[in-house]
Amino acid sequence: MNRNALTVSGLTKKYEAFTLSDISFEVPQGVIAGLIGANGAGKSTTLNSILGLIHKDEGEISILGNPIEELQPEVREKIGVVFDGTNFSEELTPKKLNKVLKGIYCSWDEEYFFALLKKLSLPVAKKIKSFSKGMKAKLSIAAAFAHHPKLLILDEATSGLDPIVRDDILDMFLDFVQEEENSILVSSHITSDLEKVADYIIFIHEGRLIFSKPKDELLESYGIVKCGTAQFNMIDKQDIIAYRKQDYEWQVLVADRNNAKKKYPKAMVIPTTIDEIMLLYVKGETNERSYPQ
Amino acid sequence: MNGLIRNNFYSMESNLKMSFLMAAVLVFSPLIINNSTIYPMIIAVQVFLFVVNTGTALHADEVAKWSKFELTLPIKRSAIIGAKYITFAILILFGLFLGFCTAVCISLSGQTWNFLSILWGYEYGLGLSIISISLMYPIILKTGTEKNELILLLSAFSAVGLMCLIAAALSPITGEMNLQHPLTGAISIFVALLMFPISFVVSVNIHKNKEF
Repeated sequence: MNRNALTVSGLTKKYEAFTLSDISFEVPQGVIAGLIGANGAGKSTTLNSILGLIHKDEGEISILGNPIEELQPEVREKIGVVFDGTNFSEELTPKKLNKVLKGIYCSWDEEYFFALLKKLSLPVAKKIKSFSKGMKAKLSIAAAFAHHPKLLILDEATSGLDPIVRDDILDMFLDFVQEEENSILVSSHITSDLEKVADYIIFIHEGRLIFSKPKDELLESYGIVKCGTAQFNMIDKQDIIAYRKQDYEWQVLVADRNNAKKKYPKAMVIPTTIDEIMLLYVKGETNERSYPQ
Repeated sequence: MNGLIRNNFYSMESNLKMSFLMAAVLVFSPLIINNSTIYPMIIAVQVFLFVVNTGTALHADEVAKWSKFELTLPIKRSAIIGAKYITFAILILFGLFLGFCTAVCISLSGQTWNFLSILWGYEYGLGLSIISISLMYPIILKTGTEKNELILLLSAFSAVGLMCLIAAALSPITGEMNLQHPLTGAISIFVALLMFPISFVVSVNIHKNKEF
């Protein structure tokens, strides 16, 4: 049975204008979990709480079986982190960064780091401040991989990368989780990337966890019912997760599209994407249904 | 910690080169200026010159998110702060070394010089540097690096003010409020050396409670 690489239980963080409320999810070993949500939904607050960069108000977080309050350097050694943008002093070159991180990580693999730099076409002797956003992201990813972590935590790591490099990076992610002990938690706006590689999708909206489900379950069972007003009014309230009106068409997100096909034969029921699920939750209605006139 | 100290120096590299160049030029100033009353000030400036860069480097690290990233590294927060203080100490040692070179240059130039006066230059520079950094770093940690230059300036003024207070407090012994008295210099350095570890402990506590 798989152990959890990461367990978040009842995570709550209160700010004056925003509250991350009772977030719970697990990232089992050997999987890629995608954290999705609109800007300001609470993704970075969640990741920062997991990494201990902010102090949580309530809840429990454990990484590789260790509560974050008691994380020793030996455990941190097994965590690779990539933030959006630069992670390192911009005066450094990748060559100097190697010297810095070699002096910090016991498991730093210099040879592998330079091999990754080559693979990602990054110059070794140029200052980071002269790098493009994509190059900085690639460097951060190379550094995160080069100490052979067991858990990678990535915050918008693939943003700013062109599709070809993104594809290479996604392949690196997939290779990484071939090792059963390795796991990835990645937050991203690019849900198509997550559709390609993620095993689990964790969706946060306005500081609340909407769901944490296996991706296949979402894509195989969720669906969108497209219909007119008359049919919309006939849809069982219990079946509706979220809905919105676009021009003259109603779009209704349902959890069981096969059941919806049988129940509403006159409506068009189509498979959905993670993007559409997110859009319907964020832009649609999820509360008490107000029936159209 | 080795990697962190290395990183601190890499971050300041270009500023350090500039400081080194300026301090190196000052080493040869006795060959041009034949005025022994200025030499102690030159030495004091040389000792302080390297510390001036720290605020800018801290700001650059914060902008680059290194300050946030380093918290995810397999090191304790106290080690991160410890690496900063070791870096500060090394910077002050750089300044002391260049001050020493100036003293050697004065000696080689064949000019007459007063040992106590040169010693005061060292004491004043050391006191100013250590007290300034001891005040500046915890304040920057608490308030952020955006106003680092202002904080450095205020810390330096406070350091001078503190040394004046020490001189005033010692006036019954030294006869008058005399900043250049060896006793004032010695007590200033003692206070500075006391403040340095206190500043470290305060910074560790600020850092532990800081959110990134």
